[in-house]
Amino acid sequence: MLQLRSVTKRFGTIIALDDVSLDIARGEFFGLLGPNGAGKSTLMSLVAGLRAADAGTLHLDGAPLTAANAASRTSLGLVPQHIALYPELNADENLRIFGALYGLRGADLRDRINTALTAVQLADRRRDPVKNFSGGMQRRLNLVAALLHRPKLLLCDEPTVGVDPQSRNAIFEYLQALNRDGLTIIYSTHYMEEATRLCSRIGIIDHGKILALGTLEELLTRLPFEEEIRFPATAATAPLAVELAALGELATADGSHRFRPHIDCKLSAFYARAESHAVPGRLFTSQRPTLEAVFLHLTGRTLRE
Amino acid sequence: MRPILVLLRKDFTNFFRNKAAVSLTFIVPFAMIWLFGVIFGVNKKDSGPNGIPLAVVNASDNPAAATLVAALQAEKSFYVYTKFVNPDKSTRPLTEADLRSMMQAPDADFRFALVIPPDVVSETTFGLHLKIFSNPRNEIETQTVNGMLQKTIFTTVPQLLGQSLQARAKNFLGDSRFKQFNGTIAAAVSDAFGADKDQVQRDLEAGDFGFGQITGPTQPADRSLRRLDAPKDPTSNAPPTSVAQPAVAPATTGAVDALSRIVRLETIQVVGADVKSPFATSIVGGWAIQFLLFALSASATSLFRERDAGIFQRLLAAPVTRAHILWSKFLYGVILGIVQLMVLFVAGRILFGIEVEKHFVLLVLVCTFAAAACTSFGMLLAALSPNAEAAQGLATFLIMIMSSLGGAWFPITLMPVFIQQFSKLTLVYWSMEGFSAVLWAGQSFFQLLPILGILGGITVLVMSIAVWRFNRGKIFG
Ligand SMILES: Nc1ncnc2c1ncn2[C@@H]1O[C@H](COP(=O)(O)OP(=O)(O)OP(=O)(O)O)[C@@H](O)[C@H]1O
Ligand SMILES: [Mg+2]
Repeated sequence: MLQLRSVTKRFGTIIALDDVSLDIARGEFFGLLGPNGAGKSTLMSLVAGLRAADAGTLHLDGAPLTAANAASRTSLGLVPQHIALYPELNADENLRIFGALYGLRGADLRDRINTALTAVQLADRRRDPVKNFSGGMQRRLNLVAALLHRPKLLLCDEPTVGVDPQSRNAIFEYLQALNRDGLTIIYSTHYMEEATRLCSRIGIIDHGKILALGTLEELLTRLPFEEEIRFPATAATAPLAVELAALGELATADGSHRFRPHIDCKLSAFYARAESHAVPGRLFTSQRPTLEAVFLHLTGRTLRE
Repeated sequence: MRPILVLLRKDFTNFFRNKAAVSLTFIVPFAMIWLFGVIFGVNKKDSGPNGIPLAVVNASDNPAAATLVAALQAEKSFYVYTKFVNPDKSTRPLTEADLRSMMQAPDADFRFALVIPPDVVSETTFGLHLKIFSNPRNEIETQTVNGMLQKTIFTTVPQLLGQSLQARAKNFLGDSRFKQFNGTIAAAVSDAFGADKDQVQRDLEAGDFGFGQITGPTQPADRSLRRLDAPKDPTSNAPPTSVAQPAVAPATTGAVDALSRIVRLETIQVVGADVKSPFATSIVGGWAIQFLLFALSASATSLFRERDAGIFQRLLAAPVTRAHILWSKFLYGVILGIVQLMVLFVAGRILFGIEVEKHFVLLVLVCTFAAAACTSFGMLLAALSPNAEAAQGLATFLIMIMSSLGGAWFPITLMPVFIQQFSKLTLVYWSMEGFSAVLWAGQSFFQLLPILGILGGITVLVMSIAVWRFNRGKIFG
């Protein structure tokens, strides 16, 4: 559905996107995971046609995505990272304006507004000026304002910043329902929990480069493994422990070994050694691998740095 | 076009939601017009300064000096002090020494003083010797006061000049030859006009060249020139001693009449003769346009608010172009401007009787073009500035310059000629020209076309620059 080929975007000397290529298939819930300044919003703005790429091409369903291509913009919906609503106007008026800009009007527009407000539990606050809304309510309105025209591709740029867990859940469920109904979603976040929970495929982005791309499982297998593996310190595991000392940091206490692998030590390498020493896998306990660890592995930094 | 209308409707919804903006548009103009009217005394028959405090010290025993003091007291532009008030509330005439100390006090009652010294007329110099003390804190005021004093002196007591001439001649010719000179003249006059030769000679020696006798009974043609010798108001603050002496008063009256004979000014109003409230009509346009510039540059800076709120991202991600956003703002400004100007003129109608309804359609037309020019100015500011604060600062600065240069504050003819050339570069000037062409001169549509063309040209030019800057500037970045 969406194709990016060698897309580069610079702001002066900053390279916000560096030779990014990406394919998004219809119906995907694609997560763009990266820390502050990674280039997530820049990527969104290029797809939405707000900016032009310095190099490379973007296509939506085969048609080039440029600022001039207004037609393709009706199949896109953008949920900006910052609340983009008219604060003096009420929820209803905001939605009417944004709907009208997509050519909606009359009873059709009214129906869609009702549906949208109900979906994000704002129907009873529709006559209140947006400036009087709580941050979470504004977020929810910010989200549905991009959906009235029923886009085929929704660009969600960190739509849950400052939202309490309950509202966040409501947003997640709403987005998941939309995705089940066929909406393709690109969802940017720096919360790995969100990407883990929502996304069928995830791209990890940092310094304008996509560092890794795949399903959650695929990304996790790139991981050497978790930060810490424990196994009993017995005669049977002693030869393994000796070998592991070269692959990472090994400590022994209270009858168990605690192994912290070096960053370049692959999970497959670990299991291969265990097998060669006939140490059964059930002896190992570990934390479940996380995207956080993947990111740390790829960049040497944590997501929140 | 549809996105423009949607955005336009949005701007107006926003506008009516904003109580401050609404009152700024509909109520403030009334208050402002009224206030300006009071300050500038629009509804008074006479314009000009009123009651500038002036101290007068008369140290001369020349009767003409007393006449001058009386005339100054009658002049409504001055509020004349002649007395020094002692702590016990008793008074004595002011002296020159009083003036110096009183005027140096920070809370001085007056900043101008006229001293008529004992040697107001002397034998050794030609002309009158008068001293004007001033604290010229305000250049324009000082000029005005000097001008008013000169006018009063020369129209009131020309015989002082005559005396000065006589004294100088006497000094030059010597006593006997001087008497002989006057005697010859007096003989010639009595031969020609049949007057008493001795009387004429006495008059000549007193510096009275007889203007009074020649023209005394005749009324001057133009009554407005008689204002200076209008009967004195008995309730005025003139001290009894300085009431004009009968012997001098007729000569004064006659002298003014004589001057008005020699230079007979007849003012015939060629344009706007049937305009009911001329002063208000000619200046309301200036205030209106200045007010509009402020209002519209403020509304143009709402572009920054929307940018900062990230709303442009949402708009531009929709099938909305930058041009749509800019032209909707422009249209909004123009409509708001027309409404605001019309409100101002209606305020002028209600408060000062400016005849707007007489040329309503043409007035709306000029308002439209003026509003368009003002809006384009606001848009250009928004295009050139990095943020709303900078735009507001720049707006204030430029509006002040354009308004003063363009003649919204005082007539441009008061400015140096080379500056007047710049007036014509301002939209304030052309807007005011448009208003006065309609309200003052009652011009027709075709006569208005050049002015409308210039305002339209300014709009096109300024908007072109603005759109060009917007497209490369930061506002959509
Ligand atoms: N308009 C701009 N002008 C200059 N530099 C910019 C601009 N927009 C983004 N950048 C730079 O481009 C880089 C990527 O920014 P971007 O906003 O895409 O990051 P992000 O991943 O969305 O970060 P965040 O999580 O903080 O929103 C940053 O270094 C940023 O400073
Ligand atoms: Mg961002």
